Amino acid sequence: MGDLAQQLVAQIEHAYATKTALKIEAGKTKTNLGRGTAGQVIDVSKHAGVLSYNPTELVIRARAGTKIAHLNEVLAQEQQRLPFEPPAFFGEATIGGTVAANQSGPSRPWFGSVKDSLLGLGLINGFGEAMQFGGQVMKNVAGFDVSRLQCGAMGGLGVITDVSIKLLPAFKASHTLTFAMTAQIALEAMQRWSNLSLPITGMCHFNDKGQGFLYVRLQGGHSGVEAARVFLGGEQLGPKAAENFWQRLNEGRLVQREHSQILWRWSGANDAPLSAVPNTCLINWAGAQRWVLDEISNSPLKGLEQYQGGNRLNEVYGSLSAPQQALQQRIKHAFDPQSILNAGRVYSWM
Amino acid sequence: MPSSFSQPKGQVSQAAQKKDVVSLIAALKKLLPASCIIVSTESQRPFECDGLAVYQQLPLITVIPETVDHVQAILSLCHLHRVPLVPRGAGTGLCAGAMPHAQGVLLVMTKLNNIVYINPQACTATVQPGVRNLALTEAAETFGLYYAPDPSSQIACTIGGNVAENSGGVHCLKYGLTVNNLLQVKLVTIQGQLITLGGDGLDEPGMDLLSLFVGSEGLLGVVVEAKVKLLPRAPRVQVLLAAYDSVTDAGDAVAALIGQGIIPAGLEMMDHLAISAAEDFVKVGYPTDAQALLICELDGTDAEVEEQLLVVSQCFKQHGATSIRIAKDAVEAEALWQGRKAAFPAVGRISPDYYCMDGTIPRGKVGYVLTRIKELSQHYGLRVANVFHAGDGNLHPLILFDSSIDGQLEQAESLGGDILTLCVDVGGTITGEHGVGLEKMPQMPYQFADAELAQFRRLKAAFDSEDLLNPGKGIPTLKYCQEYRSLQNG
Repeated sequence: MGDLAQQLVAQIEHAYATKTALKIEAGKTKTNLGRGTAGQVIDVSKHAGVLSYNPTELVIRARAGTKIAHLNEVLAQEQQRLPFEPPAFFGEATIGGTVAANQSGPSRPWFGSVKDSLLGLGLINGFGEAMQFGGQVMKNVAGFDVSRLQCGAMGGLGVITDVSIKLLPAFKASHTLTFAMTAQIALEAMQRWSNLSLPITGMCHFNDKGQGFLYVRLQGGHSGVEAARVFLGGEQLGPKAAENFWQRLNEGRLVQREHSQILWRWSGANDAPLSAVPNTCLINWAGAQRWVLDEISNSPLKGLEQYQGGNRLNEVYGSLSAPQQALQQRIKHAFDPQSILNAGRVYSWM
Repeated sequence: MPSSFSQPKGQVSQAAQKKDVVSLIAALKKLLPASCIIVSTESQRPFECDGLAVYQQLPLITVIPETVDHVQAILSLCHLHRVPLVPRGAGTGLCAGAMPHAQGVLLVMTKLNNIVYINPQACTATVQPGVRNLALTEAAETFGLYYAPDPSSQIACTIGGNVAENSGGVHCLKYGLTVNNLLQVKLVTIQGQLITLGGDGLDEPGMDLLSLFVGSEGLLGVVVEAKVKLLPRAPRVQVLLAAYDSVTDAGDAVAALIGQGIIPAGLEMMDHLAISAAEDFVKVGYPTDAQALLICELDGTDAEVEEQLLVVSQCFKQHGATSIRIAKDAVEAEALWQGRKAAFPAVGRISPDYYCMDGTIPRGKVGYVLTRIKELSQHYGLRVANVFHAGDGNLHPLILFDSSIDGQLEQAESLGGDILTLCVDVGGTITGEHGVGLEKMPQMPYQFADAELAQFRRLKAAFDSEDLLNPGKGIPTLKYCQEYRSLQNG
C-alpha cells in the first residue's frame, strides 16, 4: 500500500522508449473479460490507499489499486456507499480495474454505472505522462471528459492511478421479494413496476432448480420500503439469503458455466420481447441485460457479447462501423501512439 | 466587446476568403434549398451572439439545415474547402460557445425539431437536436414522465445544445446532468460521416465515447439525434424555504443535511442581495431581512417525503434557521421556485448590466469562498449577488456593473477571472455547467497543466485534425497558454 506513481511513470516511459508491450494488472479479477493481451506486466495492485474522504462532501478519492472491499468497509462506517454497486470478486477487485472494465452491479438501472459516479481520475498515458482529469466536485465541464472515456477502455488509453467517486448515503432499509413466475410474465412485471416510482434497486429473473422466480430488491428509507413491500406482495427472502443472492448475481456466479460453454451477455432495450434473445437463462437490470449459455461462438445477434469462455483471441464484442473503428483507432493513437498499453484487449485492431 | 479577447484564429482557407464566398454560397445552394441559407448582414444579425451577448461576431454565412442529409452535406463541404464551422442550437449558452466565426459557416440546428418517438414502456425519448428541453418534458407528461435535466433556459434551449454543453439544472443533485440521462447520440463528424454512440442498452463495450462527446462544446461533431431517459413523475413533491442570518450557517446546514444521508431533488441558496432583488421582482414573500435563503425540494412516495421532511426541518433548525416555510400546495411550491428561477432577470433590474459566473467548489468551502468573493467585491467596488446550486457546490456569482462607465466591463471581467481562479484554488473548477466556450479560455491554463491540454488537443485532432469545428473555443492551444502564462508572470 503506497504511492507507486513514479515507478509506474518510469516503467511506461521506458516501455514507450523501447516500444515494449505492457499488460496492466492489479486484482486479476477481470482476466476473463475482453480479449487476451500479452506483454510485460505493469502491476498497479500495490499503488493503493484512500487519498481523501470527507463524508459531508460525498466524495472519496483513492489510488487505483485500492480494493472495492476496502472502500465498502470505509464507507459503511459513515453509512455511505458506492452508488454503482461494483462486484468485489471475493474481495480482490480494485477500483482502477472496476473503472477500466466499467463494472456496475444490479442497481445499475436506478443508480447508474461507474461513469455516473466518476468525478475524476489520474491517468498515465502511453507517453508516460501523468495527468489529472475531472476533480472532486459534483459538476465540472471544463475540458473534454477524459475521465469517463476510460470507463470500458480496459486500460488501452492509459494506466489509471487514482479515482474520485461521488457517493450516496447507505440505505436504511432493505427487503428482497420473490415471485414465482415465468420469464415472460416477469418481464412484463419489471416494466410495469419500473414506471411506478418505487424504491426498487434490483429486478432479476432466474430459473432456480427448474422453477422461475422474479427477485425484486427494495432499498431506501424505512417507510418508503415498507409501503412498497406491502404494495408489491410476494414472498420475502431472509436478509442473509438475499445478500447472498445479489452478491452471486453481481459476481456472475448465479449461472454455472461448463468449461466448454460460453456465457453471452446481451445489453439492449429493457422492453425488448423475450424472443429477442433466444435461450435467455437470466434477466437482470429490469430486462436491459440478459444472459445466454451456449456452446457456439460468433453469435450474429446485435448487442450480444462473448462475456466469458470460448476463444479469447477472437473478437469478443460486436463489430463497429468503419468510420467508428477508424475514429477509435485515432483516439487510441492520441493517448498511446506506440500501442504499448493493453493492446488488443477490447478489439484486435486496437 | 471585452478587451481581453480577439477573434478565434481557426485555419482560414482560401475558399473562405472573400473572393471565394460567392463560390461557397453557390456550392451550398446545390446542397440545400435557398431558404436554408442566410447571407445578408441584417438577417444574420440575430445570430451574432449567444446568451453571453458581450461577445459578438457576424458569421460569413448562416445555414439552417432541414434534414440529417443536409447536415452531412454541409459538413463535408466545409471539410473539403477548409471552412470553419460553428454549430448552434437556440443560442441560450452562457460562454460564447456559439459565437460565430468571421470566416466561417454558422450551422443553426433549430429546424431539426421533431420528437421522433416516445417509448413510455422503456421510458425513453428519441428526439432531433432542435427539440426544446421543456417541449420534451411537456410531450412526455402525457405518459406521466419527464426529462430530468432542467437548465434555467429550458423554455428555449435545445436538446442538441444540452448535449454539447452537458447541461444541468436545479434537479441535477439527485437526477444528474445530461451525461447521466442520455442513452445514445447520432452525430455527424466534420468529414460528414454519421456515427452512432451508445445504444438501446445501458452499457456498450469499449471506451465510453458517448460520455466524451457530451459537453464537448461542438468541437468534436454535430448532434443530429439523441435518445434520452425519461423518469416517472414522483407521486409527491414538497418544497420548503429556510432563512438564515449568515451564509455560513446556511452552508453548514447544507453540509449537515447531506451528511445525514438526505439527497434532496433540489437544494438552492441565495444571498441577501439576490433575495431582495427576487422579492422586489416576483413578490412571493421571501424574507428580505435574511442573509441567506435555502430552497429545498424533496420528492418520492408519500411515505418517503414525510420521513425526509422531518429530518430536513430538524436539521435546518439545528443549524440556525430563523424561519422555515413549508409550501402547503403545488401553487405555493411553484411560487417559492419562481423567485429562484427569476433571480437572474431580477438582478438585471437593479443593475444596468450583470455578468454571470459558473464555478464549482467543494460544498465545505462555501462559507470561505463567499467571504472571499465579498472581499473581492469590495476591492473592485462592484456588487456581487450570489445564487447557486448549494447541493452540488455550483456557484453563480452575478457581478453587477455598468458597461456605459468606462472600464467597468474590464473590471467585471477581471473580478470574474479572480472568482474562477479562487474556485480552482479551493479544489474546484472554472465551470460547473456553462462550459468554457470563448469566455473561459484564459482560465483553462490555470486549471490544467500543459500535458493535459496537449492531450485534449490530440483528442480533438482525432476527430477534427484541421481544427474546423468551433475553432478557438473550449480547448486553448499550447501557444495560447504560453502567451497567457507570460502575461500573468509579466
